[in-house]
Amino acid sequence: MADFSLEVKDEGDVVVIETNGYLNNVGGEKISQACYEKMENGKILFLLDLENSKVVNSIGVSILIEIIEKLQDVDGRLGYYNLAPIVEKTFNIMGLTKYSTVFSSKSEALEGMS
Amino acid sequence: MEISGSDQLEYYLSSLNELGEILIEADKVEQIGTGVLRLTLGTIMASKGVIFLYKKDKEELSFLASQGIDKAEPISPPKKFVENIKKYRYGHVVLENTPKWITGKLKKQIVESKTRVILPLFHQNHMLGVMCVSKKFMGEEYSSTDVKILEIIAHHLTKALYNYELIQDVEDKKTEINLKLLELETLFDISVAISSVLDTEELGEDVLWRAVGILNASKGMMLLQKETNPILEPSATFNWDEKTPLLSKKLEVFKKIEENNAGVVLTPENKVHLQKKLNEKHLVVAPLKAKNKTQGYMVLCNKETRHGIEAFNQLDLDLLTALCNQAAVAMDNAKLFKDITEAKQFNESILGSIATGVITLDPIGEIDSINLAGTTIMKMEEENIVGNHYMYLFEKDEEILELISSAEIENKIRSEINIPFFTVSKETVINMSVAPRLDPEGNTQGLVIALEDITDVSKVKNTFKRYVSKQVVDELLDDDAKLNLGGEKREVTILFTDIRGFTSMSEKMKPERVVSTLNEYFSQMIDIVFKYNGTLDKIIGDELMIVYGAPIAAENDTERAVITAVEMQDQIKILNKERKKRKEAPIQFGVGINRGLVVSGNIGSRDMMDYTVIGDTVNLGARLCSAAGPGEILVSDSVWEVTKENFSYNPLDPINVKGKKDKISVYQIQT
Repeated sequence: MADFSLEVKDEGDVVVIETNGYLNNVGGEKISQACYEKMENGKILFLLDLENSKVVNSIGVSILIEIIEKLQDVDGRLGYYNLAPIVEKTFNIMGLTKYSTVFSSKSEALEGMS
Repeated sequence: MEISGSDQLEYYLSSLNELGEILIEADKVEQIGTGVLRLTLGTIMASKGVIFLYKKDKEELSFLASQGIDKAEPISPPKKFVENIKKYRYGHVVLENTPKWITGKLKKQIVESKTRVILPLFHQNHMLGVMCVSKKFMGEEYSSTDVKILEIIAHHLTKALYNYELIQDVEDKKTEINLKLLELETLFDISVAISSVLDTEELGEDVLWRAVGILNASKGMMLLQKETNPILEPSATFNWDEKTPLLSKKLEVFKKIEENNAGVVLTPENKVHLQKKLNEKHLVVAPLKAKNKTQGYMVLCNKETRHGIEAFNQLDLDLLTALCNQAAVAMDNAKLFKDITEAKQFNESILGSIATGVITLDPIGEIDSINLAGTTIMKMEEENIVGNHYMYLFEKDEEILELISSAEIENKIRSEINIPFFTVSKETVINMSVAPRLDPEGNTQGLVIALEDITDVSKVKNTFKRYVSKQVVDELLDDDAKLNLGGEKREVTILFTDIRGFTSMSEKMKPERVVSTLNEYFSQMIDIVFKYNGTLDKIIGDELMIVYGAPIAAENDTERAVITAVEMQDQIKILNKERKKRKEAPIQFGVGINRGLVVSGNIGSRDMMDYTVIGDTVNLGARLCSAAGPGEILVSDSVWEVTKENFSYNPLDPINVKGKKDKISVYQIQT
């Protein structure tokens, strides 16, 4: 099976996670693991760059919801940018965008999260 | 210290007040369970207690909250417990001894928790759980008030659990509806893609991605089948790192799908060859079928859940089938569009590359297309032609209008050649053919006009037909390379004829008689010249100058020249018999033939230019003609050398000719 990979970068107070691959169970777990590790170090603002994750399934979405719930407990936030139309549509329908924000670009996202 | 009844009541009331706060504040069922259990045990002074939730679908009791004992794995209660506890649904059970209907792991828990009172948590006939409370502190017995308080708490807990279950149910339904909405949106998106994406590969990939995502599959591939290939071709894969194995369309699973006209769900129990080939146990496979023809298959692997992989179900197969049906129609459309585009491009490239102009007219006679050659012939831009009615476009050409109109009315092909085309210019000449445009049902959908500009051909014919035979003109037109009018050195055979005594003869004749005599003579002689493909170079008075080997050379140029001369002399005898009947004087002429190098080409001024040959060879031919007596054919050494095997010659004494220092050998043909 194709590997899901991600790159985690700190950009000021915001943690930017660039993903690559199918955002499913495997991909979602890797993202949540990266988020929780950063949360332990006090980070509460997270941005996902989904440019290279063109497909997401509902398991991936449910893991993102878990991350959002955990972030809500610490007044944190999750945002996304570079979403493929099909991914954005899925996020909208599954109600993810009610509790997290979709940005149109990285600069807008960094500005919106700070 | 004695506790008064009113103190006790106040304590219970404050507990109930606290219960209300717990139920209002808690937003998770676990918080409700823990809060209510603590409050209950504190209120009636008990040390241990458990609240179990009953899950009807799994028929198990799971720990919602516990105090004084460790939480354990969910318990499957005995059926008798579920049946008996229902009898106490709005009350309680005080356990003196463990009743017979409490057995197994449940009994063990009851014993360990020293449960004294069991409070069933029922909403109508539906069991939501049970609350177990241990003996009171210091073994004190439960009073009726204690039990009443326990029942009140249990009723409130029941209501809270029911509400929670309702909320949970709504949340689940909401998620379910969202998923259904996502499925519908996916189907809708694909239906949109049918009309927007026209690349079959892109379309296949798009549908596969959506199918994998919507069905929570871990990976997938789209296989296309071609009639000529026994192997299914993987046209798109998603999340598939491994090399795709060779899959024959004869595999049992594909045959089964074809026979049953339905896809399949494969689980580890199935053990079919496809699972082995793909090294995957959980598969869902649906055919891509359009117009009752299977185009291929969509294969998805491993339905993901948060807890691992589970089997695909019938709903998954139904959804994948719906996606595949749409995809197949879309791909069929895309393929059809591709075929039509290719056919159109092919037709356009043919129409664009041919020299014949092609104009199409719609059913009302307006021009809807013209190819490149058409615009070149018309000497107009396409935009100035398309959209106009043909009657407007060809208004200067009555003959053309009649031709088109006749094809239109009679619904038959009409052709005409050598039509002057005044639309372009007075000089333009075209060949035109008009044919009805028919649709597949044979209905007329307009006309197709093919036009060929033959102006140049016409000019060449007009120019050359006076000098050479039709055969030579056709040969020249067939192969431009043979036509070199720019001037070149070449070897030719020259034939001269000259009527003997014509000047004195003509002095006795009326001028018009002179002309008619010459015309009759030349007409018959030139017919013979053209018969043997000679080129009539000049008519000078009563003289003819004929060339063989220019503009087109042939191996037997000299033989043809000699035959021409012989036949001319034979023909003049026939003509003279006619003339004798008409009481006219006979015509006699001499012939001289020479062969050698000349310069050929279009010679003259800009206003008057003729194709001719010049040089000593020409002069000697003329001298030989001058030397020839009436009815005599004299040839030079070069002609004799080439034709001596085929003709009989009398060698004559060499003669002096003007411009030549030495005498020239001369041969006379025996006729």
